Amino acid sequence: MRSISQLLLFVALLAACTSPATDDAELVIDTANMLDAEQRQRIATFHGFLLLDYDIDYRVVTAADTGDIDSYAASRFAALEAGGASDNGHGLLLVIDPVQDRVRLEVGYALEGTFPDAFVAYVEQRQMVPFFAAGRVADGILATTELIVNRADAAVSNAGLESEIRLDGSGGAGASTSARLGAGTESSYSDAEVSAATSPAATLARYFSALRERNGNPSLGIYTPATQRMLENWVTTPAQMDNVVRSYRGCHAETAKIHSSGRYAVIRYPIAERQCSPWFFEKVNGVWALDLTMLQRAIRFGRDNSWHFERGVEHPYVFAFTDWRLDSIGYPQARR
Amino acid sequence: MESDDRIRRMEADGILTAAQAAQLRESLDWGAAYDESAAEQGGRSTRRHLSRWPLVLIGAVVVIGLFMLINGSGVESTAPQDVAATLNDPGGIGQMNRSFSGLLAIALFLIAPLILWMWLHNSLVQKEETVFEAWAQTESNLKRRADLIPALVETVTRYLRHESETLTSVTAQRGEANLAAALDELLAAQRATADIVGEDGESIVENEADLAALYAAQERVGQRMHSFLAVAENYPELRSADQFLELQAQLEGTENRINVSRMRFNESVASYNAAIRKLPASLVAGAGGFGRKAYFQADAEAHEEPKLAFD
Repeated sequence: MRSISQLLLFVALLAACTSPATDDAELVIDTANMLDAEQRQRIATFHGFLLLDYDIDYRVVTAADTGDIDSYAASRFAALEAGGASDNGHGLLLVIDPVQDRVRLEVGYALEGTFPDAFVAYVEQRQMVPFFAAGRVADGILATTELIVNRADAAVSNAGLESEIRLDGSGGAGASTSARLGAGTESSYSDAEVSAATSPAATLARYFSALRERNGNPSLGIYTPATQRMLENWVTTPAQMDNVVRSYRGCHAETAKIHSSGRYAVIRYPIAERQCSPWFFEKVNGVWALDLTMLQRAIRFGRDNSWHFERGVEHPYVFAFTDWRLDSIGYPQARR
Repeated sequence: MESDDRIRRMEADGILTAAQAAQLRESLDWGAAYDESAAEQGGRSTRRHLSRWPLVLIGAVVVIGLFMLINGSGVESTAPQDVAATLNDPGGIGQMNRSFSGLLAIALFLIAPLILWMWLHNSLVQKEETVFEAWAQTESNLKRRADLIPALVETVTRYLRHESETLTSVTAQRGEANLAAALDELLAAQRATADIVGEDGESIVENEADLAALYAAQERVGQRMHSFLAVAENYPELRSADQFLELQAQLEGTENRINVSRMRFNESVASYNAAIRKLPASLVAGAGGFGRKAYFQADAEAHEEPKLAFD
């Protein structure tokens, strides 16, 4: 009897060892050597959290000359058992083929409702490809994952991601597109000039208006000179602009407060509105220009998209937050 | 219902003629044909059930044999029990044991082939069901693509009409004329598809010629839909519009689903066809009425049209 118990234990251990792997090497399979070790690790870590937080098993495969990338992705999805590490069979597989210069995001059956083909085509073409064109493959993957997280978050808030029936595998859902790897960024900026206003609130309104029109021109007058220089080297994608507009849709201007001191000003939302980070402004030539450089240095976002300060970063906008204290990570709390 | 409203709207706006609207409406009306095919599938199950009568007969014989084995010989003796006659001779093989061993051997001789027969039969049924499942998935994807046609026609035609009205662009007018021709071809191809599916229903998976014809018709539908999308090549504004991107993604996504389901259907057919030809399953297949299934592919003489991508 004891030997049978030991055998069962051994079989159970063996099953545990051979169950769908979720270690880093399985999450990112870089056969085409497009990523360095640090980038692979970063993507794997991020996707590990995606599995932990949203139960989505998201694999990345780079492979040279896959033939028909659509068929390859469907076959590879099955071979890798993508979605196997998820309790609900939620699987995604990104395939990048540098030889054919194509990319495909294959969506498993269980996630077809959450990530329809149109959404996948949107994130590929409006978010991932601009980064790929700039030669930043890892950033393109991560930037796309960010939008996937946002979408999953919205799905969880609405009806949840869990389904009654577990659905494994994929049936060809998703989208593929030209990857434009290293093709160079396209400067499809709008010609419309958007200048800073005489009040921070008006400048912010103009900024959102420019984003709604997908005007990613880094030299717009609403930005401080330092911000303009910073943005020149950035990849600003249409999807990022859409995302900012979407994120701040729930941040009500009427609840925001403007704090100013000398040539600096801050628009701050109530502390309870965790997703609404503050905006920094600097007076340049008599108008309030948006300072995104300090925002970039001082503000961080958690996995749930709530903002916090990067501790230890000094900036000239501290005056607007003296009535708040920061916790160990940097999340603001009201002083009692 | 949504497609019907869209078609009615396009007819009222002059995008579709009355004849085209009627043709499009008919070509999308797969529901009835699909239900009939489902009913036919139910009928097939009944036929399969009736074809099992040899198994039932053999099963009955075996059950009777087992009953006899358990209860002794078939003819009951009415004589008083003679215990001495049934006692074993010292050192010899007992009569009771000898009788039991013989019956057991006969029973095993009968049961083993029966179990093998049942196992082969069930595995063939399983493989055949996989084929039907794969076909249902393929057909569902074909239907999904058909449902995209009204949206595609409306989006592209309305955009071109708007271009013609506002810019009086010669290119737009020429594009609109080309679209009218492409629309007729698209509707004809879709109509041919609906006719084949409507006529044959589920039994189409056993008809090689019809499946090849359906494959060719579907290829033509895909080509004509791409012809519509190709119009966008001349209009960067339309091409970059999110609405167009969405439509294009839906179309390409559906095409890929068709390809994947077609691939899986053909794999399941290959597995099934191989199974019914191998011995000893071929004997079971012959007795059970398991017919060869057709592949969903172009016939040998047809040439494959190139796959298009828009990006």
